[in-house]
Formats: sequence, structure tokens, C-alpha cells
Amino acid sequence: MNLTIELTKRDFAERFSGSSLGVSWLVLAPVVNIFIYIVVFSELIGARIPGVESTLGYGVYLVSGLLPWVAFSNTVSRMSTVYVDKRHLISKIRLDLKSFPVFVVLSETVVFLFSCVVFLAFLLYFDFEMSRQMIWFPVIYVLQQFFAFGLGFLLAIFHVFLRDLKEFVSVSLQLWFWLTPIVYTFDILPDYASDVLHMNPAYLFIGAYHNIFVFDSAPALDSLLLLFVIGLSLILAGFFLCSKLERDIRDFL
Amino acid sequence: MISVASLSKRFKLYQSPADRLKEIVLRRSFHESKVALEDISFVVESGSTLGIIGQNGAGKSTLLKILNGVLLPDTGVVDVGGRVAGLLELGTGFNMELTGLSNVYTNGMLLGMERGEIDAKLPAILEFSELASVISHPLKTYSSGMVMRLAFSVAMYAEPECFLIDEALSVGDAHFQQKCIRRIKQHKEQGGSIIFVSHDMNAVKVLCDEVIMLDHGKVVMQGSPEDAVNHYNYMISTLDDDGETVKKDADAPTAFGEFSARVRRVSVLGSDTGTQVISAGSPAEIQILVEGAQAVRDINVGILIRNTFGQDIYGTATWKHGEKVDLATGESWLFSFFMDMNLGIGKYTVSVALSAGDNHLESCLEWRDHAASFEVISGRRDEFVGMCRLQPRIVTKKLGDIGVS
Repeated sequence: MNLTIELTKRDFAERFSGSSLGVSWLVLAPVVNIFIYIVVFSELIGARIPGVESTLGYGVYLVSGLLPWVAFSNTVSRMSTVYVDKRHLISKIRLDLKSFPVFVVLSETVVFLFSCVVFLAFLLYFDFEMSRQMIWFPVIYVLQQFFAFGLGFLLAIFHVFLRDLKEFVSVSLQLWFWLTPIVYTFDILPDYASDVLHMNPAYLFIGAYHNIFVFDSAPALDSLLLLFVIGLSLILAGFFLCSKLERDIRDFL
Repeated sequence: MISVASLSKRFKLYQSPADRLKEIVLRRSFHESKVALEDISFVVESGSTLGIIGQNGAGKSTLLKILNGVLLPDTGVVDVGGRVAGLLELGTGFNMELTGLSNVYTNGMLLGMERGEIDAKLPAILEFSELASVISHPLKTYSSGMVMRLAFSVAMYAEPECFLIDEALSVGDAHFQQKCIRRIKQHKEQGGSIIFVSHDMNAVKVLCDEVIMLDHGKVVMQGSPEDAVNHYNYMISTLDDDGETVKKDADAPTAFGEFSARVRRVSVLGSDTGTQVISAGSPAEIQILVEGAQAVRDINVGILIRNTFGQDIYGTATWKHGEKVDLATGESWLFSFFMDMNLGIGKYTVSVALSAGDNHLESCLEWRDHAASFEVISGRRDEFVGMCRLQPRIVTKKLGDIGVS
């Protein structure tokens, strides 16, 4: 655990070493992004969501899906290369292959929290009416990262043997982003597409965020449960595979 | 205590890593096996040092990596009984952009220390590294020597049950090296064990209590450092014999003279090793095989030992010892010089001169420079420094009190 925290810290130190604004980028970047989404999209362009009165509706819809998606997609893509990226450590010191990649989740979570604070500040500034359902927020996030860890863990194992998986993952995440109603709403889709979309695991948590932020309703519990089950199965599969292949992973690195 | 029992490891060689997945899916073999280690067993008691020697590719690094937990063995049991720190992972995770201090923490934690432990040891680490004044500067401003020093200092204070040491120790300046060796010896006195991998046979003899020698992944010899080093040198020299040294003799670019008698072969043999690697102070023999092309009366065979700087260290000749030999045409004679090799550690060459009469300048039959070479390594008997072993007799005597209270 100690080591995981140290690796997380180190991850940040490396990210910002040599930059003069340093950690303030964690705030500056989301400020600019959220400003664009909320002010430009909602206020200036005037995009609207059907059934939502507030002028901020679309902006909040966009940001409340986008921020978690960015955290999710960064976690998955960085997790998926973690063994190869950290081979200089794995090949030199005794590291537990199953637990040390957790630092990626922690590190991305810290970045996410900074963006959330900025988001919250915007919401307060614009006097956005916040729903009581937002207490679900941490629960959804934890489940989402649980899923991200499981998926990334499996991919990381395969990546050791299949190095082009990295490109595959980055392309797939792009595709996945557009297959998930983050920029658009679920309702604009034709029926056959919405049937398919129900099988998209990312929709399980993105939909939940939309519910609590924009539609003032509780997340669907069966969705959250399903998300947990998928995450757990992936992690168990990862553990099993990692135990079976640990020797090969270490030999190949 | 460290114990290793019937440890084996093979590497599977694949065309590409993806073949490993193909194997799992298709249940067919897509690899060639290479044995890295086979049936290795040994025990290192607390407070003792095991040396591992062997040529490149013998499996030494693989063994260290398994002990370190970085690779997993195929079969066998490894019990390291606590924290193992290698000097193999010197400076693991060092980041040049970050300060020395922050690197000490990361590196320390990677070596298995807790944050509080590093806090407590920090003054000692800084003092040992002699880098306290620059510790808040980024690592990229350090010289490479300073980076090594910092890395060593952290490793030295990781205080593992067992130190794994490889050639890493041979880098860095002499002063700092000595400091590290002192610290390692301290560690040993406090009951820690050490596994030492090296090509430096002197260091092996000085530091180790027991040595195993690996060849092609197997233990070919296990025993005292003296025996193992001799065995190693013997093995190396057999490799040399069908290689370069023979050719060099045949070329003989440095021979001149009338050649009415010829030096056919010169060899130097340590009597304990049977090779041209000789422990300081131990008996050795310089053999010179001479053939007469014509009859030579009263032939004189001289030898001259030089060090690597070309300085004459010792020279003598048969004539000075009253050995007189008349060489007939077609006869071959063997001249042996037996002596205790009371020389300092280093490499030496032997030049040989054949002459008639007591001075080879009058009639030089053959003068051959660098006819053979040999190496003197430290013996375990009495340690000394310098070029020669004088074997003093030491007497101490108390003269009285000088009346200072």
C-alpha cells in the first residue's frame, strides 16, 4: 500500500517535473475545458436537452459524462501498458504484479477530483440547481474505476504478449467514446441502435451520472449491480490469468 | 539464512511474444527451450558469504534474479527468509528531473523500506553519500559518479537479510568502494548474508567463505574459494589454449638472435593451480623448452619477469646458478625455474634469452620478449600491498613507560 502511494506521488512528480506551473495545470486544464463546454455550448450556442429547462442543461450533461469518461479511458489505456511501461522496475525489484498497477487508478482519480472541484465551482457560480441524487456520485465513480481496473488489468497481461494491443486499445477507446451517449443523448438514436447500446457497459455508469446530474433521478440499481459484477468478473479473470502467466510475463519483460 | 533446493529454470525462446498466446490457444509448442539453471542447491548461513563464479552465460544473473524475486523458477524451492536487496537494482526508479532527496525516498521504498524508516536513516544515508550539500538539487545536475554514490548509499542502508552483489561494486572511485566494502563487512558481522557474483577472482578470494561455480546452468564445483578459483582459472586457460595464446607464440614477432638454439616453448605454472594464474607467495615453475639447431657449448638460459608497465621486476640465468649444459645438435632440453612467486598482484610477462657464455650480448642465440605471461592474484596467507612479498619477521618489545599520567 505504501509503495502504491509512493508510485502515485511519483507519477505526479514525473508528470509535472520541469513545468513551471506544475500542479496548477490540474486546475487550469479543466477550467478551460469546462468553460468551453458550459459557457460556449450552453450559453452561446444554446444547445438544449429535450425535457430539461435550464440553459445549462446540455453543458452539464456533457461535462458530467465527459469527466468520468476521461478518467475511465485514461485509466484503461494507462493500465493496459503498465507492465511494459514499468518493466524497468519489474525486472529489477520484487513487485507484486497484481497490486502495484493500482497506482494508475489512484493517480487518475486525483486528476479527476481536481476536475470535479472545478466543475462544482462552475455549477455553484451559475447557480445550477443540484439534485439530492448527487450523493450517488462517489458510488458510481468507485464502481466505474473498479471496472476500469479489471479491464485494464486483463489488457495489461495481454499487452506483454501482444504489443500492438496498445494501438488497438487507443482506437477502441475512441470508438467506444462515440458509441456511448456522452456528446449526444440516448433519445436521438433509432431503436435498433438503442437496443445495442444497452449492452454497452460504459453506458451503465455514464447513464447513472446523467441521471443524478441532469435528470434528478436515482441511478438504476440493476445497472450499478451489473457494473459491479462485470468489474468483479474481469478482476477475477485477471487474477487467474496473472497467476497462470506470471512466470512468462516476467520472462518476457 | 538462504536456502535454495533443486532449482531449475528454462527460458522459452519464442519468435515473438504473441507465440506464447498461440501456444495456450492451440495447445501446441511454439518455442525452443534453453536451460538457464539446472538443479541448483545451496545454503548460505547467516553471516557468511557465498561467491558465484562462472563465465558469461553460465546462469549467474538468472540465479540472482530468481533470488531477488524478479524471475520465477520452473521448479525448486527458494527461501530467502526476509528482505533481499541487491546492488543489481542500484538506482532503480531514479528520475533525473527530480531532486536527490525525492529520489532517495522513491528508491528506498522500492527497495522495501518504509517512509518512516527512510526518515530515520536519512542523515546516515546523506553522510555516507557525502552529497548532503547538493541533495535538494535535481539529479540531472549530478555527475555520474555522484549518482552512483547516491544509489549505493540508499542500497547500503536498506539493511536486508541478504545482499546480492554483482559487478556493480567495481564502479565508482576507490575511496567510495572501500567505504562500501567496509559497510558490507559490517553487515556480515551483524549476521547478514551475502551472495557475491564476480569475475574478479581476487575479490572472490578475499570476500567469500564458500564458492560455487556455474557452467551452462549447472553447479560444476562447490567448495573453498581457493579450490573454486583454481578450477575457474583452469577452465579459462583450457579455453585460451586452443585460441589466441598459441597463435601468438607461433608468430613470435619479438624474437631475434642467431637462432643456433631455439626457444620452443615457455610456460608458467602455479603449482597449486596448474595454470598461469598463481596465488601470491605460492610455488610456481617457469619451464623453457630449448632445441639445439647446432651444437652449443655451455648454453645459458635467462629469464626476465616484467610487469604491465614494462618494468623489470626480476631476472636471472642458469649460468648464475652454476647450471652448465652443453647442447648437441637436435637435442631438446627442458629448463625449469622453480620459485615462490613473491610478487604483488598483477599481470606479468616472461622474456627468455639464450646465449653462450655469461652475457647474452656477446653471442645472443635467441632473445624472445613476452614469451609467456602470467597473473598473480592475492593469496589468503598474508595480505600485503606493493610489488613484492618480503616476508618480514615481526618482533615486538615493550621498552618501558614514558611517564605520562
